[in-house]
Amino acid sequence: MVNYIIFILVVAGVYALLAQSLTLSWGLAGLVNLGLVGFFAIGAYASAMTTKWGGWPIPLGLLAAVLLGLATGFLVTVSTLRLRDDYLAIVTLGFAEVVRLVASNEVWLTGGTDGIAGVPAIIPRAWGPNYHLTMLAIVSALAIGTCLLVNHLAKSPWGRALRAVREDQVVAAVAGKPVVVLKAQAFSIAAAIAALAGAIYGHYTSYVAPDIYQPLITIYVFLAVTAGGVGRPVGAFVGAYLLIGFLELTRFMAEVVPGISPVQAAATREIMVGLALILLLRLKPNGLMPEKNQKSPAGTFPTGASR
Amino acid sequence: MTLLMNRRHLLVGAAAGTALLASPAILRAQAGPIRIGTLTPLTGSGGLYGPVMANVVKAVADEVNAAGGLLGRQIQVISEDDQTNAEAGVRAARKLIDVDKVNAIMGTWASAVTTAVAPLCWENKVFLFTVSGADSITQLPHNGWLVRTQPNTTLQGRKFAEFCLEVSGGKRAFFMMPQTPFTQSTFNNFKIAYDKAGGATELLIYDDKKPSLRTEVDQAMRYNPDCIFVGGYLTDTTVLMRDLFRAGFKGRIVGPGYSINQKLVDAVGQPEATEGAYGMLPSPQEGSSGWKKVAELTRQASPDPFSCQIFDHVNLALMAMAQAKDASGQAIRDNVRKVSQGGGDRVDTAVDGIKAIAAGKKVDYDGASGPCDFTELGDISDVKFRYEQVKAGKMTLVRIA
Amino acid sequence: MFWSIIQALLNGLVSGTILAVPAIGFTAIFAVLRYPNFAIGSLATIGAYAGWFANVRLGWPLEASFGLAFTGAGIAALAAEWLAVRPLEKTGALMMAICSLAVGIVLENMVRFGFGNEPRGFNVPLMRDIRLGDLRISPQQIENFAVALGLMALLWAALNFTRMGRAMRATADNPDLAKLKGVQPATVAAITVLVGGGLAGIGGMLVALDTAADPLTGFRLILSVFAAAVLGGLGSIPGAVLGALIIGMAEELTVLLLAPNYRTAIGFAVILIVLSIRPSGLFGEKSS
Repeated sequence: MVNYIIFILVVAGVYALLAQSLTLSWGLAGLVNLGLVGFFAIGAYASAMTTKWGGWPIPLGLLAAVLLGLATGFLVTVSTLRLRDDYLAIVTLGFAEVVRLVASNEVWLTGGTDGIAGVPAIIPRAWGPNYHLTMLAIVSALAIGTCLLVNHLAKSPWGRALRAVREDQVVAAVAGKPVVVLKAQAFSIAAAIAALAGAIYGHYTSYVAPDIYQPLITIYVFLAVTAGGVGRPVGAFVGAYLLIGFLELTRFMAEVVPGISPVQAAATREIMVGLALILLLRLKPNGLMPEKNQKSPAGTFPTGASR
Repeated sequence: MTLLMNRRHLLVGAAAGTALLASPAILRAQAGPIRIGTLTPLTGSGGLYGPVMANVVKAVADEVNAAGGLLGRQIQVISEDDQTNAEAGVRAARKLIDVDKVNAIMGTWASAVTTAVAPLCWENKVFLFTVSGADSITQLPHNGWLVRTQPNTTLQGRKFAEFCLEVSGGKRAFFMMPQTPFTQSTFNNFKIAYDKAGGATELLIYDDKKPSLRTEVDQAMRYNPDCIFVGGYLTDTTVLMRDLFRAGFKGRIVGPGYSINQKLVDAVGQPEATEGAYGMLPSPQEGSSGWKKVAELTRQASPDPFSCQIFDHVNLALMAMAQAKDASGQAIRDNVRKVSQGGGDRVDTAVDGIKAIAAGKKVDYDGASGPCDFTELGDISDVKFRYEQVKAGKMTLVRIA
Repeated sequence: MFWSIIQALLNGLVSGTILAVPAIGFTAIFAVLRYPNFAIGSLATIGAYAGWFANVRLGWPLEASFGLAFTGAGIAALAAEWLAVRPLEKTGALMMAICSLAVGIVLENMVRFGFGNEPRGFNVPLMRDIRLGDLRISPQQIENFAVALGLMALLWAALNFTRMGRAMRATADNPDLAKLKGVQPATVAAITVLVGGGLAGIGGMLVALDTAADPLTGFRLILSVFAAAVLGGLGSIPGAVLGALIIGMAEELTVLLLAPNYRTAIGFAVILIVLSIRPSGLFGEKSS
């Protein structure tokens, strides 16, 4: 049981990193990134390929993941800069699908659908239970560190400028804020954080393959951030742990429902996940830990332009 | 025959009696059920196959429990959903291993899930049985902690090709399959066999999410093949069969038994569209009762190969534990080959096997998916194939070879 | 080669027309309610099952089954709108979109709970294609094409010549002005959701007619639906139709000229190109 809890906490830590990524891009900059899992995949592949095939030391692999995340994040922003937020959401959704398709089909580059097994671990796996404990320490430290960093960024003048852009980019531009640069910076850093999460997860589980990176993961991170509180790094952090905790809890809840088949139990679990979010949105629409003294970013999404 | 059976029953009864008398201490110490886990896709793209698989394991466990259990204990099956996703699958495996304390996980389906879950299993001394198709799985450094009942692509690709050559009587085959971890290697082996026969073949990898594959079928028709191999799963093969029928393809259609089966015939609807198509699946020798048993358990006239394979997983796990007189993952790892191969009394269910083992006999399991003899790496060493054809809308056995 | 390209375009025209039906539903809901309804995939699945239930279990003819697909998915959409999404109106469109994502998960799994994962085929005779020289076309697809076209014509007429249709368009153009003119926003919203969900349901059934109904029928469809709606410009019905046709034909041409396994990717390549020239899609409103 202890091992299980440790493992779940490590996974939740990875989700907490992803949640920070989303907090930065969506919560602070108002850029809806439905392609989060694509950046997660890119980081995982960058680090796995360089360390497993290139023989690079792991810190360099992680650095490669972060840099590639930054670069692709920048590329995606550049090609979508003029898009409205709702368009951006769907284009990024497509981006993640394209990443998955390329990873599956370009066998010469990525190893194809077989994926890359035996990705080197950050610390020796032979440590057994201590391996997982140490990884828990590393991942938690990273998640907390990133959360503090994003929190710091949010409170900095840069973060305030970002929020101004989020609330109304025309006004922000008139006030002399470099709207385009701010957006590109936020989106790229967010992509880099997601890539780092992917690299860590790949090294931890020792396996990277296209089929891991399904839209489901993006949806889960959105649930985590929404539950915790959009625009508040600490909220997103807590939300990630709550989400994974709840996902696992539904396992045990579905087990006690009598007289249903395994597939009905599985369906019941997912219904519980969906209902929990709907209820949460109804009762606490700004999340458990709403953004302080700021207008909720949600109001700006699609277009208020025509209203 | 009757005499033999009676004697065997007598022996088993006596042995079980002495065992009970001899080891009450062990029994007391190990109170509580023996737990095994299934990790099959219940949602997501593999959701079509996983639920039946989980039910098969439960049904086998029920029969063993009704016959007195194993080592004096009952079997408990815990079924988790891998959501056809490696991230969710790893979490589910963790729960099975650490919370439920299962000693074996069976039925992992998607190759990505199996590869992700395998290290957890060998690190925690939990035995893994899988039906995944990627060749790379048995090449993982698993140190004997997993076996795979799905034949590897060298064997399958060759068998598929030989059968296509035979039924079409021609030398041109078109190979249509979605992207999977075993698509390219299956095709490579398929091509080797076609090349050897002086034939020609071409591969088309299609997108299995699309509701229409007309242009893909046009591509196939332009190749002018006398045989088309359809290598997808049930949903996309349904689309493909309809579009092949519409296009008026007159040649032979061959595919794996997990897509060319009764469910396909029903899903396509129009009997002529599937009439004459061949399905092949790994199989035991003719007359083996394992296959019939799975047909009964799943209430399918012709059960899919994954249900057959997981039936073998659970039987092998239980018999290996009986052989070791120990209900641990280590016991399964060390004994699975002792009950699966090497001669002895042929058994095809765990109930019979457990009785024979208790009577001190050497057993050799013959399963529903084949003889279940494993190489050192964990691949099956040889298997026969069951060839079926849709005749008058029903799957009909052509032969087993 | 010439004829194969024409054939691919023809195939794309047919598949694009079917795609257009749920894309219209998606874009119509967006036009009036101003949020992207991500439950559209699950609504298509519900339509597919409702149609299957009518056709196979109740033995209804296809035309009547389409009716049940429309009603079933429409009612599900309306129920979800009232119970889950509507109460969030004040928190903004993105929260409504995320809520619709959760609604989608719930609906898909309710179907799974009730019917399991087995594919359910319709009771429709499958016909061989009609050949016209080097081209071939399926009678069934002509029928589906006709159903889709008929629906679009009906919708167009309803939007232009009925009071409710004009109210819907007015609300889509300018909700405040529409209110001043005495349009009941709640009624307009309800009807839009009913019709939009119903169209998604018919789209799901059209696809299931060619494949089979299973819990992922809608999920397999949504990426193309989103692509079509965005390409045409969110909120624009003619745009959704044109977007769907372009996506349909681009996908078929990919099979022929590029690689069949990149079919989904090409839709997004097309979007990126079009959006970099026209950031709001072909017929979208000007961006702010």
